[in-house]
Amino acid sequence: MAARILVVDDEPGILSGVCEILTLEGYEVDTADCGRRAQELLSLGSYDVALIDYRLPDVDGLTLLRSIRQRCPEVMTCMITAYANIETAVFATRQGVDVFLPKPFSPDDLLGAVDTLLGYKKLRDEAGELRAAHAASLRELASEKSQTHSLVASLRDGVLAVNREGEIVLANRAMEEMLGAAAGDLLGRQVGPALAGGVLAPAVAALDPQNPAPAVFEAERGEQRLFVTASGFYDDEGALLGRIVTAVDISSVRRMALEKARFTRTLVHELRAPLGALKSIVEVMRDRSLGDDLGSYLSFLDRADERIDGLGELISDLLSLSRIEHEGAPRQPDAPADTPTVVGEVVELWRDRAAARSVGIEVDLAPELPPCTIPADDLRTLLTNLVGNAVKYNRASGSVTVQAVRSGEGLEIAVRDTGIGIEPGNLPRLGEEFFREKRTETRGVEGNGLGLAIVKRLVERAGGRLAVRSSPGEGSEFRVIFPC
Amino acid sequence: MNGLKADTGKHTLLFIDDDPVFLEAQKAFFSARGYTVLTAGGTDAALELLREETPDLILVDLMMEHTDSGFRLARRIRREERFRGTPLVMLSGVASETGIGFAREREALREWSHLDDFLDKPVSAHRLLAVVRERLGGPDEPAGGR
Repeated sequence: MAARILVVDDEPGILSGVCEILTLEGYEVDTADCGRRAQELLSLGSYDVALIDYRLPDVDGLTLLRSIRQRCPEVMTCMITAYANIETAVFATRQGVDVFLPKPFSPDDLLGAVDTLLGYKKLRDEAGELRAAHAASLRELASEKSQTHSLVASLRDGVLAVNREGEIVLANRAMEEMLGAAAGDLLGRQVGPALAGGVLAPAVAALDPQNPAPAVFEAERGEQRLFVTASGFYDDEGALLGRIVTAVDISSVRRMALEKARFTRTLVHELRAPLGALKSIVEVMRDRSLGDDLGSYLSFLDRADERIDGLGELISDLLSLSRIEHEGAPRQPDAPADTPTVVGEVVELWRDRAAARSVGIEVDLAPELPPCTIPADDLRTLLTNLVGNAVKYNRASGSVTVQAVRSGEGLEIAVRDTGIGIEPGNLPRLGEEFFREKRTETRGVEGNGLGLAIVKRLVERAGGRLAVRSSPGEGSEFRVIFPC
Repeated sequence: MNGLKADTGKHTLLFIDDDPVFLEAQKAFFSARGYTVLTAGGTDAALELLREETPDLILVDLMMEHTDSGFRLARRIRREERFRGTPLVMLSGVASETGIGFAREREALREWSHLDDFLDKPVSAHRLLAVVRERLGGPDEPAGGR
């Protein structure tokens, strides 16, 4: 785009001559014959260069010059004057004029002056752009730095950085807490003494500036278990800048591993116990301890049968637990379970075993039940366990009631018995895998302690809850409540 | 009853275990060999029974009401003057169940609990018989058993 030039002179001859020369060179030229007209033009458009005569009819050139300097600093200025003397030149320059052009001047002088001014302008614009870019990048840097800082500060993992001199240059809040240090206390300290005797003491050797080997270890702090790594950080050329320690709290992972180990241990015991019993039965029979009459061993064979059934149930229950865990969220049933149908099936399943102990089972279903939100299989599993417990832990000639109603919360199914009840202290442990009450009354009751764990998980993953009420010697009530 | 099986002398054994099938099987096996067998299904039943009876050897399971019920019971039995010299044998599945070095601590535990022997469960009746005979004397089982 052509440069725009404003020429301000009260001599029409000069004005038209200058205008012609510049236009021929391809510049875009506007002219003004007085200061006021020049101000008007300057307020309407932007110019690259202003050529101003020193003597104007309304204002003097220097006043106009100052005004341009203030209002349009981007415009390069050139002072034209017939009173060319050194004093005027110096004075005009002090006022901020960029170039001084004495009259009379040749077309080459004029073009040379304009060329010089445009060159200055280009340089000035470029410098301005560079300055702006620099300022922007500084701003960006500052904001990045503060972002990184707050990011590191709010990490739940502990972070500590050490420079090449072994001084701590960064320790976030999590790290300060892990080391039991007050905020900001670690900064500037030598890492050796700062960590000595503490939970991260084993990291000190790895932080030795002479020893670039990364270290990974676990540390214990009270109940907390930390996973710590120490490694070097390097610049782009691979020179060691310092070392960084991160500590991750793995207590919950650790707890889960311990729970898993405890589960496995209990499971092994539960699997081994019936095997031991079966083995001792086989030994007695092979030994013919009770003589040669097979009839003498029938009660042993019945026991063996029970134990084999028990093992089969244990395996089914383990599969159920594993399935629930594996599936995570409840499956969306194709069609909601029909509560009365499932209740009927489960009661039929237990009817004979209940009758063998003279325990009666009653069913009491409200006529209009809200739909059950879990799959029929899940409801069947759940009720089989609850009704089974109510039968097994009942007294002879006791009773079991299965009741379903619409409650404020949704569908509520209650299984009540007139059995031995549960010790109040044990109520919170119900639903814990393999937990069984060890009381005189529970001896001889077959069970593996997984039933209620399954019930609890099935109910809870469907968004429902299990409520238990019990008094020892009188009976228990298990209610499952599913929200609609 | 097969006379060949009977050991000399009428020794009384007490088995303490929370598994009724195990107790019944041991009762059948050892009774067939002429022992008088007493059984108790837990700590309370054992203490109750020991008020009246003075068995010649006691076998107690470690894990009953609690994971260490056997130890506590053994300590209580040992405290009584009457049972100072009675062989006490502990049965436990701990070592094989946990896989931890229970065996290494055996001596220390034996010292602490005054137990005479530890046997890992599951244990065969013939292995138990060997231990009983070692402690009480009696003929060795013919090789290969019956």
